Amino acid sequence: MNILIVEDEKTLGLEIAEFLGKEGYTIEHAWKKSSAEEKIFVNTYDFILLDLSLPGGDGFELLHQLKKMPGREDAVIILTARGDVDDRIKGLEAGADDYLPKPFSLTELLARMHAIIRRKHKLVMNEVNVHGFTLDIKNHKVSFDGERINLTNKEFEIFNYLILSKNRVISRVNLTEHVWGDILEVNSDSNFVDVHVKNLRKKLAAHATIDWFETVRSIGYRINF
Amino acid sequence: MKLQFKLALYNTLTKIAIITVLGILILVSINHISINHIQNRLLQKKIRLIANLSNVEINDLLLQKTFTDYNLLREEYIILKEIKKTDHPIKQKFLRELRSIEGNQEEFQILITDFNYEGKSYRLELGETMSTLAQLEHTISMFTFGILIAAVILTLIIDLSFMQFLLGPFYQIIDQKLNKVNDPINFNYHPVKTSTDDFKILDQSISVLMNKIATLFLTEKEFIANVSHELLTPISILNTRLENLLNDEQLSPEGENKLFACLKTLNRLKAIINSLLLISKVENHQYGKTDTISVKHTVEEVHEELEHRLLMMKLKMHINLTEDYSFTGNKSLFHTLLMNLINNAIKYNKPSGSVDIYSESSVEGYTLVIADTGRGMNPKLVQNAFIRFEKLQSEKEDSHGLGLAIVRSIAAFHEIKIDITSEKGQGTQVRIVFPN
Repeated sequence: MNILIVEDEKTLGLEIAEFLGKEGYTIEHAWKKSSAEEKIFVNTYDFILLDLSLPGGDGFELLHQLKKMPGREDAVIILTARGDVDDRIKGLEAGADDYLPKPFSLTELLARMHAIIRRKHKLVMNEVNVHGFTLDIKNHKVSFDGERINLTNKEFEIFNYLILSKNRVISRVNLTEHVWGDILEVNSDSNFVDVHVKNLRKKLAAHATIDWFETVRSIGYRINF
Repeated sequence: MKLQFKLALYNTLTKIAIITVLGILILVSINHISINHIQNRLLQKKIRLIANLSNVEINDLLLQKTFTDYNLLREEYIILKEIKKTDHPIKQKFLRELRSIEGNQEEFQILITDFNYEGKSYRLELGETMSTLAQLEHTISMFTFGILIAAVILTLIIDLSFMQFLLGPFYQIIDQKLNKVNDPINFNYHPVKTSTDDFKILDQSISVLMNKIATLFLTEKEFIANVSHELLTPISILNTRLENLLNDEQLSPEGENKLFACLKTLNRLKAIINSLLLISKVENHQYGKTDTISVKHTVEEVHEELEHRLLMMKLKMHINLTEDYSFTGNKSLFHTLLMNLINNAIKYNKPSGSVDIYSESSVEGYTLVIADTGRGMNPKLVQNAFIRFEKLQSEKEDSHGLGLAIVRSIAAFHEIKIDITSEKGQGTQVRIVFPN
């Protein structure tokens, strides 16, 4: 899958590229509005990661131009640090697929991209197998050997996010933000996510050993496979 | 009290005072004038009588011996008596006395005078009734009073309508340029039509001030936008770079720990900036206030979201909202407000404690109470509760002291009043009073 990163902050663009490159994506960069326009005219992309404040113009203009072009399916995720209250609504109304305020976590970006892939391209596999557990991502179900495991919505989201970020330690803050969203003051203390992880692990452990589901002391959690 | 009514009141009071004084003056002078008038008449009568006096007439008069009248209506009388010669004859004396004529007692103005006629002394008493005078006085005073009252009412009406006309532009300025303005950006700069210079100056000054405030508002708005971009972008870079570093497979566990600690600090920085930005945006009225919000519904939503925290702290939450309350505001902001308050009630509670949420209807309006069985605060802490960066329970390292500052700005934005009462060791009660 190919991605166009439209971001004037080079360091940030390169960091995002490094991360997504390791995930197997092909990356192209556009550092300003005019070069982004050229690239969008010439190529189609699976994803366009769009910053709103660009040298030479507003990211919204790019979005409008893209939406006017017939037959384009490029998924657009707006990445912005702009403070306007209604930017999110404006972006989604203009046809962006998602909106991620800066600063964001790269694993969160990846999770959003996966969600869009599932939504847009029906072909993508909707089932994931992890050490004998099967995740039906579309229907939010988990089973082991065909036996259904009853998980709450939050437990499922935690499990799914950890699997998606496999082999990476996910901090409690990151996990909380993904599952509960950015809820300001509340997100600063995130130990309560432990209760959910504890319940999740209990439910999974009833079926098999789960030594691959690691608790990283004082940081967070990791699922290895 | 409005200026218009104050002026009207002043006018009325001064007019009533003037009328009272005038009325008394007129009554007194009428009385004076008419008594004078009667006395003059009596004198003239006396002169005429004495001039035309004859023996026959004197005998006629003397024969009557008692009070008598010589007209049908008994309004006047005349008495003549022969007296001995004295050294001090009464030259002329006026009296005001009651006299009875054929059983009718009335007040008379009386002239007594002594005179000599053909070697004999006589005393003449001429009387004229005062009752006609009293009637006349009454009629005149009623008439004057009536006219004065009519004049007062008429001038009052004219005054009021003129003042209304005169002060019209003033009230227009107050209404349109001061009362109805809560957003200087959408201020109406059209001057109010008036020929009064003072109002023109007032209008212009308000416009100039508003213009200044609007400029400040826009500058601050721009500043907020800049701050968010200029601060959040570097944080974003750091965040992604640290995350990429964590992907390095050769990273030692110690290095990993340090990087996560960095990420945690970065996250705190982000939370602080976002909280400050939220407060500024709320205070700058950058949020819409168009949602219909049900208090009960929002409480239930927040409860659902915080259920896991209750679980973790083994707390019980009792929600008893017999009455719901709906108002217009910003749904997500109000959600944040309740979230922060209820979260505090959980965060600073003691294990196996409880959080009670109930409603009250007081004189001030619908009141939502969030009461916890937590550690409570001493009065000094309560006083400082809403100050930015004031950490109430500083041992919680993850608090950044902006939660209640956010609550305060959201409450002010919605004109909601928040009272905190707390007792150390007993718990805290937060009362959210909604405007009527």
